Amino acid sequence: MAACFLLPALTIFFLYRILPLGWNLWLSFHAWSPLKPAQFIGLEHYEEMLLDDEVFWQALGNTLIFIGCSPLAIMAALAIALLVNSDLKGAAIYRTIVFLSYPLMTVAVGIIWRWLYDERSGFINWVLRSAGIINEPLKFLQSFDMALPSVIVADFWQVLGFYMIILLTGLQAIPQHLYEAARVDGVPARARFLHITLPLLRPSIFLCFVVGILNSFTSFDLVYVMTNGGPGHATELLITLIYKAGFGQTRFDYAAALTVVQFLLLVVLTWVANRAAGGNAGSRET
Amino acid sequence: MRKTPTWPRHAIMLVVCVLMLIPFYWVLKTSLTGENIYAYPPRIIPVDPHLFNYVDVWYMIPFPRYLLNSVIVTLMAVAGNLLFNTTAGYALTKNFPGRRWVVLLLLSCMLIPFQATIIPAYLITSWLGVLNTHLGMALPMLSTIICIFIFKASFEAVPRSLIDAARIDGLSEWRIVLRIMLPLSKPAVATNVILNAIWSWNAFMWPLITTRSAEMQTLPLGLARFLSVMENTTGALYAFVVLVLVPGLAIFLMAQKEFIRGLTAGATKG
Amino acid sequence: MRRRNLLQATAVTAALAALPRPGIAQAPKKITWLTWNLVHLESHIKGWIASFVAANPGVEVEWIDKKGPELPAFYQTQLVAGTPPDVIDIQGALGLEYAGQGALLDLSPILAREAAVKGSFNADYLSNWVFEGKNYMVPYYISKTLLFWNKTRFRDAGLDKPPTSFAEIMAAATKIKGGEKTGLLTLNFDWLYWPFMQMSGVELLSADLKTPTFNTAKAADALGQLAEATKSGAINGISWTGRWVEPNEAFATGNVGMLHAHAPAYFWIKGKGPWINADTLGAAHAPGGWATPNSHGLGISKGSKNPELAWAFVKHITGDVVADSLARTASVLTGNKVVDQAQLVRLEKDDPAAFQVLKTQFEHTDKMCGNWRLGNDSRVKDAFWPEFQSAVLGRKDPKTALADAERRVARELRRA
Repeated sequence: MAACFLLPALTIFFLYRILPLGWNLWLSFHAWSPLKPAQFIGLEHYEEMLLDDEVFWQALGNTLIFIGCSPLAIMAALAIALLVNSDLKGAAIYRTIVFLSYPLMTVAVGIIWRWLYDERSGFINWVLRSAGIINEPLKFLQSFDMALPSVIVADFWQVLGFYMIILLTGLQAIPQHLYEAARVDGVPARARFLHITLPLLRPSIFLCFVVGILNSFTSFDLVYVMTNGGPGHATELLITLIYKAGFGQTRFDYAAALTVVQFLLLVVLTWVANRAAGGNAGSRET
Repeated sequence: MRKTPTWPRHAIMLVVCVLMLIPFYWVLKTSLTGENIYAYPPRIIPVDPHLFNYVDVWYMIPFPRYLLNSVIVTLMAVAGNLLFNTTAGYALTKNFPGRRWVVLLLLSCMLIPFQATIIPAYLITSWLGVLNTHLGMALPMLSTIICIFIFKASFEAVPRSLIDAARIDGLSEWRIVLRIMLPLSKPAVATNVILNAIWSWNAFMWPLITTRSAEMQTLPLGLARFLSVMENTTGALYAFVVLVLVPGLAIFLMAQKEFIRGLTAGATKG
Repeated sequence: MRRRNLLQATAVTAALAALPRPGIAQAPKKITWLTWNLVHLESHIKGWIASFVAANPGVEVEWIDKKGPELPAFYQTQLVAGTPPDVIDIQGALGLEYAGQGALLDLSPILAREAAVKGSFNADYLSNWVFEGKNYMVPYYISKTLLFWNKTRFRDAGLDKPPTSFAEIMAAATKIKGGEKTGLLTLNFDWLYWPFMQMSGVELLSADLKTPTFNTAKAADALGQLAEATKSGAINGISWTGRWVEPNEAFATGNVGMLHAHAPAYFWIKGKGPWINADTLGAAHAPGGWATPNSHGLGISKGSKNPELAWAFVKHITGDVVADSLARTASVLTGNKVVDQAQLVRLEKDDPAAFQVLKTQFEHTDKMCGNWRLGNDSRVKDAFWPEFQSAVLGRKDPKTALADAERRVARELRRA
């Protein structure tokens, strides 16, 4: 029965995720370009990637930094979710405003943030200079050091609503009577949060962590429009490398190898997150 | 009963809201004036606002046709997700042999980026014969893993006693989902609808790859018309962006009252 | 002009007559035309297609347009699926890459057969797409870089002529900079910045395209000067970090002395900079006459099922009538000698500033650089550019950057 219930979803994933992954895996061991027959070359692509491609390592580092920053966003989203989950007047408006950025087209987000960060005519520099905080404009997206944090902030802006909505859904599922009982017992707010909210919110928080891991490639459009991996490779992520290798340089075989490596990396990270959440995607084993 | 002051919370939320709104305000402002966003110094008040950019959008692309296509594909995606994700999420709450592996499998499937699947996905869709069709555009999005887990988490919060009672009453598994799980998981349903509607509505690359004829294109594909030859950022582009945003926003507004309802529903749970 | 059309019609009829006919009812012969970011010309394109269909009854032309970032993804997917568009419009060196990939039809035999058609194109621009001795594309619309100079900024700095050497460019830029003003801006995509290296005596690769030859003292010196100038503000840093909008935007404000960009930039900056007219904007060649071309070409996919029809269509689009229509509508030069000549004559009267700019596109066409006939241009570019960028932005010293770039470029060339 369970199989029956899972079948439709699994079919979709089989067709559109597992088969393509298999294609990438197979391709990563071959030399191939469209219109030419594939030649088996074993681990050559992986050797090139790990031993001969400094850009890969930089992209790997950037990707890890990107993922590493997601807990900050999740914490902020949790704080906001708690604030708007109450019977606070206007909570619905607050929720809407925070969520507003998520449905916005990524191309638009990229263009607007590129302008916000602009050295010459950007809003952020204008505000900082008008307020006298800085004298020289800050080169956000043109600086090797500031580019990645700048992109992360822009991405943070867009996905905050997404984290919030996942956490809100989780918060809704917590039975109110638990809080009532705790209040009656005189349990302070902080302890209520730590011992009721957090544990019951674990599946949602775990989901947010996974989304944070996914964000290292779902943010592709944003990075592509804002910096295209530049300056140098300061904002290069594994996903931008994959896209450029595949569709920019027409090296689908190398892109496939990169995909496999990224996949393995993310599997490890997800597994670690799963263990930290207690296994079974954060839910209590029943 | 101690009354905690609410103004600190309002203050924090106001700051957050202002920060969240700044970029969005600029999108809106430029859509109303068409002024060059790179003009220095930036002007906060819109100069000479007008709605002509929105009219332009209607005429520069086959707006009604693209809108219709987007609506059809999104409806398909949302319907598919509601159906498949609830059943899958429910199945995952049961303790069947190999469940751990299925959970891991699904988590792993999430980690496969779309960009790496473009070519095989196209070939598969071609083999299925649904290229350049609404179904072909909706197919990869008919189920999403995050939403399955959202349902799983929500279903697991339903007290076992209710489910056991239902089983004793002889309800089939499907009925249990329909009559017991879903009504108590309204926030999860709302989230599912919101997220899938947004993902499907904003999908750009996949419809771009699978459609050839102009009649089948969805709204985001009209973007090309406004990002003119020289990547000019005109008012029409921003008007277009605002128009594309409206349905996602509307769905969120309609669905989010479920979050409030869930607040009181929780009080009667168990 | 009528004679050409007659010639074309005859050729098409002859070609069609020579094709084997299917036995039963004839399905319309169909070709697909993929264009690069021309959706704003929709009504004109539909008109050009209509005139082709009118001249060739029983033929269907499907038009697909994609923007630059998505076109390769679309094309490659179609290629793998076995349904590549018959006629494609490709920008710059990507055409050579597709040729190297084996995706394009070798047009050399056809061009050899139809000398009149071959002769209608500007030979230097036509040769932009010669790969391994074979010609894979014909020009659709062409451009190359030039040096725009802001006469007001020059005058204020006590200069009255555009620079004629690399040293003079640096000197002029340094004189002009100050406060909000900077001396030089350049575009940097697709090798557009290469003339600065070429004029300094740097060759990227050996003649056989197998060895990098740019790690020289001259190159280190030139790179060092560019880095110094960037640091001091003589060269606006956006040159190295901006793409299309930012550098043009900055020049349009009027605060920059020189802009090194290809001709289409003129029409863009003119729209953004009301100060621009023939008295305030000069159009000069970069010193040495060096320029990087950035043209669009039309090619035919090898997997096309109707190559003869595709060729007829290409001739229609690049023929005098349609090319002239494109030139007038989009204010471009087409590579069709007759059409371009007429365009220049017209502009000399109607738009002297535009005339100054577009005139440069046909001068020094033997000095086009930054256009190596490589089948893996994008890989070489991706290997070289980040090192160059690091050097000019002061992140790496020039010698180290060149050495690293040499290593990476050599690796790409070895793999080819």
